[in-house]
Amino acid sequence: MYRIAVDVGGTFTDCLVLDEQTGDLRQFKSPTTPPDPSIGCIDALAKAATAYGLALPAFLERVTLLIHGTTLATNTLINEDGARTGMITTRHFRDMLEIRRGYKNVRTSMYNVFVPPYKPLIPRRLRLEAEERVLYTGEVHKPLNEDEVREAARQLGREGIESVAIGFLHAYANTAHERRAAEIVEEELGEDVYVTTSSQILPVWREWERFSTMAVSAYTGPAVKRYLLALEDRLAENGFAGSLMMMLSDGLVETVENCIPRAVYLIGSGPAAAPAAAVHLGSETGHKNLLSFDMGGTSIDIGVVMRGEIPTTTEGWVQDERVAIKMVDIVSAGAGGGSIAWVDSLGLLRVGPNSAGGDPGPACYAKGGTAPTVTDADLVLGYIDPDFFLGGEIPLDPGLAVSAIVDKVADPLGMTVEQAAEAIMTAVSSFTADEINEMATRRGIDVRDLTLVAGGGAGPAHAAFIADILGLPHVIVPSVASTYSAFGMFAMDVGRNYARSYITRFADLDTDRVQALYEEMEQEAITGFGEMGYRAEDVSFARTADLRYIGQFHEVEVEMPLDPGQDLSETAEKTFRASVFRDAGGMQMLDAVEEAIDNFHAKHYDLYTFNMPWQGVELLTFRLRATVPKAPFELHRIPEGGPDPSAALKSHRDCWFGGERVPTPIFDGGRLKAGNQVVGPAIIEEPTTTVVVPGSFTATVDAQRSYHLNRDGAVGEPTGGTT
Amino acid sequence: MRPGPVDPITLSTIWNSFQSMGREMRYVIDRTAQNYLIAQLHDMAAGIWDAQARTIAVPEGPTSMFLSQQFSVEYILDKFGDDLHPGDVIICNDPYKGYCNHLPDWGFFRPIFYEDELVFVALTRGHQMDTGGSFPGGYFPNGYDIHAEGLMIPPTKIYDRGRERTDVLELIWNNVRWPDGVKIDNYALMAALQVCDNRIVTLLDKYGVPTVKDAVEEMLDRMEANVRAQLAEVPDGTYYGESATDDDGTVLDELVWVRCAATIKGDELILDFSESDAQRKGFVNCVYSSTYSRAVAGSFLYFDPAYSEFHNEGSMRPITVVAPEGSVCNAQYPATVGGSPVNVGTQVLEATVNALSKAMPDKAIAGWGRRRGHYIAGVDPRTGERYVQTTTDADGGSGAVWGYDGFEGAMGMSGLGSIQRGSVEEIEIRFPWRAVRYHYVPDMSGAGRWRGGSGMLWEVENVGGDVGVATGSSDGDLTQPPGAVGGEDGPLSRMYVRRGDEIIPARTHRMVQIKSGEILGKVSGGGGGVGDPTERDPDKVLEDVRNEWVTPSHARSVYKVAIDTETMTVDRDQTRMLRSSTGETETET
Repeated sequence: MYRIAVDVGGTFTDCLVLDEQTGDLRQFKSPTTPPDPSIGCIDALAKAATAYGLALPAFLERVTLLIHGTTLATNTLINEDGARTGMITTRHFRDMLEIRRGYKNVRTSMYNVFVPPYKPLIPRRLRLEAEERVLYTGEVHKPLNEDEVREAARQLGREGIESVAIGFLHAYANTAHERRAAEIVEEELGEDVYVTTSSQILPVWREWERFSTMAVSAYTGPAVKRYLLALEDRLAENGFAGSLMMMLSDGLVETVENCIPRAVYLIGSGPAAAPAAAVHLGSETGHKNLLSFDMGGTSIDIGVVMRGEIPTTTEGWVQDERVAIKMVDIVSAGAGGGSIAWVDSLGLLRVGPNSAGGDPGPACYAKGGTAPTVTDADLVLGYIDPDFFLGGEIPLDPGLAVSAIVDKVADPLGMTVEQAAEAIMTAVSSFTADEINEMATRRGIDVRDLTLVAGGGAGPAHAAFIADILGLPHVIVPSVASTYSAFGMFAMDVGRNYARSYITRFADLDTDRVQALYEEMEQEAITGFGEMGYRAEDVSFARTADLRYIGQFHEVEVEMPLDPGQDLSETAEKTFRASVFRDAGGMQMLDAVEEAIDNFHAKHYDLYTFNMPWQGVELLTFRLRATVPKAPFELHRIPEGGPDPSAALKSHRDCWFGGERVPTPIFDGGRLKAGNQVVGPAIIEEPTTTVVVPGSFTATVDAQRSYHLNRDGAVGEPTGGTT
Repeated sequence: MRPGPVDPITLSTIWNSFQSMGREMRYVIDRTAQNYLIAQLHDMAAGIWDAQARTIAVPEGPTSMFLSQQFSVEYILDKFGDDLHPGDVIICNDPYKGYCNHLPDWGFFRPIFYEDELVFVALTRGHQMDTGGSFPGGYFPNGYDIHAEGLMIPPTKIYDRGRERTDVLELIWNNVRWPDGVKIDNYALMAALQVCDNRIVTLLDKYGVPTVKDAVEEMLDRMEANVRAQLAEVPDGTYYGESATDDDGTVLDELVWVRCAATIKGDELILDFSESDAQRKGFVNCVYSSTYSRAVAGSFLYFDPAYSEFHNEGSMRPITVVAPEGSVCNAQYPATVGGSPVNVGTQVLEATVNALSKAMPDKAIAGWGRRRGHYIAGVDPRTGERYVQTTTDADGGSGAVWGYDGFEGAMGMSGLGSIQRGSVEEIEIRFPWRAVRYHYVPDMSGAGRWRGGSGMLWEVENVGGDVGVATGSSDGDLTQPPGAVGGEDGPLSRMYVRRGDEIIPARTHRMVQIKSGEILGKVSGGGGGVGDPTERDPDKVLEDVRNEWVTPSHARSVYKVAIDTETMTVDRDQTRMLRSSTGETETET
C-alpha cells in the first residue's frame, strides 16, 4: 500500500510516494496545469503509477492516504482572479476593509508616495449594510434588521456576485447575527453562492483583521471549492478510495469537506509543510532547533523551529492582504534559482526579486532568456552539470549563461565571468542570510543555535554557503530535497486550531468561563474528529492563551498546561504537549493560568529583552490545538558503508571556490552508503538536485540518505540542539 | 561607478542590515508599548547615527521625530564627551536644549560601543501618553511658555554603564500623569535600543569595525551622488510654495503661514522659509530641527523611489534648510511648541511639496488630509481609572500624486503613512466610548486628474461619565491641504458635538465638554488632487460614482462628466459638451 503527498506549486506539481511496506520514497514531478490544476495532479499520479508498473486505477486503489498541498488559494490572490465578492456588514461601518487601519507602507518605503492605491478585494459598491449592533460583551445593542439583510442579498444577487462575506462588529462575542444573516443570504441566493461569516473564519476581536481574513476567504473560496470538488471527482473516477486530506496554512491537515467553507486556511498550503519536514529530519539526529530553508525557482521560504515545535503566527500578510488566522510562521523572499542578477544605478549588485521563472527561465535553459540568474551562476561555477539538470530532463547551455553574466554583471562591475558568478552566488547567499537573521532576531532567537535544513531544487547548492555566513556549524540536506514540502506533509499531524476571545484582567478572571471555553472547543474538536472516524481518546489537545501586560496592545501566545503542577522544567522543555486525552474537568484552571502567566513573563523576556513582573496581566484569546497522531512511517534505510565514499565517485569537474579553479570530485548520491564521508570541496549529484560541499565542510551520509554537512572545526552539536 | 574599498556584496549586506535594524526596533516598541499612540497608531520612530553624528539609517517613523536627530546626537556627544560608556541610555525631549520637536516625544539615545570604541548611536522616540503640563497629552494651547507644556528634559543619563538610575527616572515619572503606563513605554523604547545594540555588535563581530566604517562612508557617498545627480537634472530656478494652518491656538481664526522658496542650483537644493510668519504666542511654533526634518522629508519624496528606503546623511548633504531665528519655522525659547507637529509642522512639509511640485510637475504631489485629533480625559466607570484617549481614525486621506490617486486610508502627511489608525473594537473594549459611524464620505477628496484619498465621517458616543475634550491636535476648519498642478485643494473639515437632535459645532484648538450619551463627530476633508479634474478619465469618474466616492452632481460640476444614473454609464456627448465649454476637450475615453 502507498501513501502519497502531492504539492502543487506554481511551476511544478511534486508527488512523493511512500511504500508503506518498504519505506521506499520516490519523487515525481509534472508541470502544473492552470486553470485546472487537478489535471496536473492526475498527471503526476499517472507518472508515479507508470513507475510502479501499474495502471492508474490499480495504483490509486493501493493508496490509503493522499495528502495534498496547493498554492491555489495563494495564487488566486496573487493573480487577482478570485470570485466576484460582496459583503454585508454593520450599518455605518462598510469601509473598514478599505480604511484598513491606514496601512500604506506594507511593501514600500514611507518615502515612496508613487504607489497605486490599495484595491480592496470587495469594491465599495458591493459592501452593503444592515442595521444591527453587538457590543464587546456579546450583548445585543440593536437587533438584526432581517429585511435589510434580505434586501442587501437581493441587491448583491442582481450584481451577479458569486460569494458573500458577512462581517459584523464584535461578532466574535456573539455570532447570532452573522449566522442569521448567512441563513437569509442562502435563502435569497441559493446554494450556488459561497457564503462566509467572519465569526466562522476567525472568531477573534479586531474588526479589520477579522474582516480582511474573511474577505480573503470569500474571494478565494469559490475557486478552492471548484478545484477541490473537481479533484475529488477525478480521483474517484480513477479508482481512489483512500482518504484525501488537505494541508492547511497552520501546518495541520484537514478533510476536503471542512476546507471548502474556510478557503483562507489553504493560504500558504504547501510551503507551510516545510518546517514539518525539518522537524522529522532533525529528529533522526536529535536536532530540535532548526532553520527550515526551502529554495525553489522564484522564492525562498524560511521557518525557524525551536524545540521541535512548528512555529506559527497570527501576524501574516499575503500580498497586500492582512491574514490573521494562525499560519505556520514562514517568511518568503524573492530569491531562488531563477532570480535575476542586476546592477543598480548605485553600482550595487542585486539579485531578485524578479525571476525568470520556468519560462523563459535562466539564460542557460536556451528558451530565450537573456537575464543572468542564480542557476546561470551555479552553472558557470561548475556546481551544476549541464547534462544532468533535473536528472537530464532539461539540457543546459553554459555558453548562454556565460554571455548573460558577462553582459549584465561582469562587464558593468569590471570582473571576470567567474568572479561575477561567484559574486551572484555570494549576493543571493548574503541576501538569504540577512532574511534569516532578521526573521530569527524578531523571534528572539540567536540564529547560531540552529541547524540548517535545506530543501527545494536550489537549496542544496547554496545551503553550506549560507550556513557559513551565518556561522552555523551543521546543515542537513535530505535526498528528497526537491520535494521537501511534500515530504513535510507526511510528517504532519492531522488536526485543527480553535480560538475563542474572552478579554479579561487576571484579577477579574472567571476560571469557570475559561474552563467552559476550552471544553466547548474540545467538544467541537471531538465532534469534528468523530465525523472523520477518529475516537475521542485518539484526540490530543494543547492549550495556549494570548496574554499581555495590562495596557499593552499586542499579545504573546503562551502554553497553558492541561495538567498544572507537573514540573516541566526537568524535561528541559517548558513547552507542554498533551500526549493523551484527559478529562478536562479534573483540571485546576487557576493553577494552569498562573503557570501560563509565568510562561508569559519568560517569553516576553526572550522576545523583547525585558519583562515587567510588577505589572498586571490581561488574557484575551484562548486557543486549542487538537490533533490525532499521524500514522507512523519509517523510511527505507540504506546499507552501512564506512567512511570511504570512493565507490560512488563518478568523475571530476572544474569548479570555482573562493576565486580559484578547483578540480572537484563528483559523487553519485544514489550510490553513497550510510556512514560515507565526503570531504569538501565536492559535489554530490541527486537526480533532482545538486549538493555543493565547499572546502570547509564535510558531508556525512546517514541511514535515510540525508547529508549532514558539518563545518570543519565545529565542535559537537549546536548549543541547545539536542536533548 | 568608482570602485570603493568595500566589495559591493559586503556593502549591500551591511546597508540592508542597518535598515532592518531600524525596522526591528520599531517592531519591538510596537509589540510591547502600552499607549495607544505608540502601539496602535505607531507614533514612534527609530534610527541609527554614527560616532560623528551622521544619519545612517532612518527607515520609518513620523518625520519630525528622527530626520533631524543628527543635531541631537551631536549635542549629546559634545555634552557628555568622555563620559559615555557601554550600557548608557540618555533621555531627551527638550526642543531648546536637545533639538527635539515637542515635549511628549521622548527620545532615548544609546551609545553603542565595540571594544571600548563608541561606534554608533541608536535612537528610539515615542509619543508619551503624558508629559506633565496643563492638560493631558501635550496638545493644550495657551500655555504661558514652554514650561507650561510639560516636563522639559535636556539630555540626561537614565542608565549609567548598564545600571538604571532609578532616582532620576522616578523624578521624571513623578511629574507625569499615568506614570505606570509611561514607565512601560519607556522600557519598551529602551528594550528596542538593546536589540539594536545586540545586532550592531553581531554585525561588527562578523565584518570588523574598519569594514563597517568603510561601508558607511560608501553608503553616504553613494546616496549623495545619487541625489545630486537627480537634482542636476531639474532646471535651475526658484520655486515658491506656501500653506497655512487655521490659527496658533491662542489668537483664534487668524491663519499662520509657512512659505518656502525652493532654489535648485546645479546639484544643490536650498529650502528657504524666511518669508514665513513670525514666531507666535500660541503653541504652533517649530524649532529649527522640526522645520529641517519636514523640509528634508518633503524633498526625499521627489527622488527615485527605487532608493527611497536608503536615505541617509548623504541624501541630506545637498540640501540646505534656511529659517531665520524668531520665525514660526525657527522659534526661540521660551516659545510654546506643543501643537507644532500638527500645525505649522505639517505646513512646512506642504509648503516644501507645493514648491517642489512646481519644479518637478511630472512628480507633483498634493497635500494630505489634515489631522483631526483630540484628547479626551476622563474616568472609566468600568474600572474607576483615569484615562486619556486620542486617535487618528478621523483624519482625511492621503494626497494624490502625478500618476496615482491618493492611497485610500493612509493618513497623516507628516508621518507619510508610518502612522496607523485605530480599531473600533479595541477602542470600545479599552475606553468608555462606542463607535456610531466610521466611513468615507462622497465628494470629500480634492478633485483632480488624480483625486485625493477620501475624507471620513467618524462619530463616537460617550458611554462613560462627563469628560473634557481638547480639540488641539487638529487643523483644517479654515485651511486646506494644497492640490498640485491644477488639482483642487483637499476639502475643509469640521467637528461637532451631537446633543440629542442638536448639533453644536466644535472648533479646533478649543476645550469642549461632552456629557454621557452625547456624541463627538468629525467630518474630515481628504487629500488634495493632482492635475486638472476635467482631464480625469471619464471612466474613472464613473467608477468613482458607482462606488459612491463622488456624487453624480459633483461629477458634473467639477469633473465635467455627465453620468446617466439610470444606466450608470457616461453620457459621452454631454460630457464632451461640458468639457468643451470649459475650453477643454475630452482627452481620454
